[in-house]
Amino acid sequence: MFAFAGAIALAAGISLALWDRHPPDAGELLALSLPDLQGAKQPLAQWRGKVLLVNFWATWCGPCRDEMPEFVRAQHDLGARGLQVVGIAIDQPDKVASFARELELNYPALIATYETMDVAKPLGDRLLGLPFTVILDRQGKVAHTQLGPMKSEQLRSIIGKLL
Amino acid sequence: MQASGRLKSWIACAVLVIVAPAFAQNPLPPERAFRFSARMVDARTVEARFNIADGYYLYRDKIHFTVEPAATGLAVPSLPSGSAKDDPFFGHVETYRGAVVVNLALKDPKPGREVVIAAESQGCADIGICYPPTIQRVTVPIPEGSVVPPTAPEPAKKTWFD
Repeated sequence: MFAFAGAIALAAGISLALWDRHPPDAGELLALSLPDLQGAKQPLAQWRGKVLLVNFWATWCGPCRDEMPEFVRAQHDLGARGLQVVGIAIDQPDKVASFARELELNYPALIATYETMDVAKPLGDRLLGLPFTVILDRQGKVAHTQLGPMKSEQLRSIIGKLL
Repeated sequence: MQASGRLKSWIACAVLVIVAPAFAQNPLPPERAFRFSARMVDARTVEARFNIADGYYLYRDKIHFTVEPAATGLAVPSLPSGSAKDDPFFGHVETYRGAVVVNLALKDPKPGREVVIAAESQGCADIGICYPPTIQRVTVPIPEGSVVPPTAPEPAKKTWFD
């Protein structure tokens, strides 16, 4: 009986701990200003007021590349309704540029280092794993964070509620 | 009593169903997913080993070894072949699962002293997560009074630093 109570308490504890560890504060993320493929600094705050999907990725990360066509489709279909996808690549600009051309990327690809990715730690990516995706509502509040690829239906459902 | 027993089983099942996937999705930290170890196998040879957890893999061309102090010098041979994959963007890519073992040659080992072998690696988990490059360090004591054999011939010309 104690084992069951313990297991339930553990499950509850894990959920609470996870909730606690993700204070939904995107302040540091929105304060970033990163170079795009032309070298021009792009402050993330310029997209305030939109539903903002920030995807940390890299060309050497297979699962990252696999999910990106979904972001391209989402930007194409929902951009006019207020979605802005922004990719932050922990990578070399030439590799990012080459992949962006191949994929016909229709959203900004910004370049960053792992030091920059520290902003993802308080949002739930303690191991700095990729891909990591943060979805912010129009007020800049964190609506969803995810380590690992997003499923198409899940992505549409979360964004649909925010638009 | 029996009903309560059945209820307990149901609760146990429910808890497992809820908790198990959460654990399964919790990725290991890289130093546990790609556990590095090193030991001397003779007076100038360090056996370097990655034990890779199930469901994880390392990229062959992202593995680099260095020795500290650098003056000791390290000859790194060609790494064993991994399983090859044709990556649509990078072309031929090799990965390791299970374990990778490489014999590194110390060029000027000092018996009785210690060296630190630093191993950089990068890999991913099958659940769809890739890790940043990780450096793991292991201190290896060079046995006192060990007879250092004459310098082994330089290994294959191509090393990972070329």
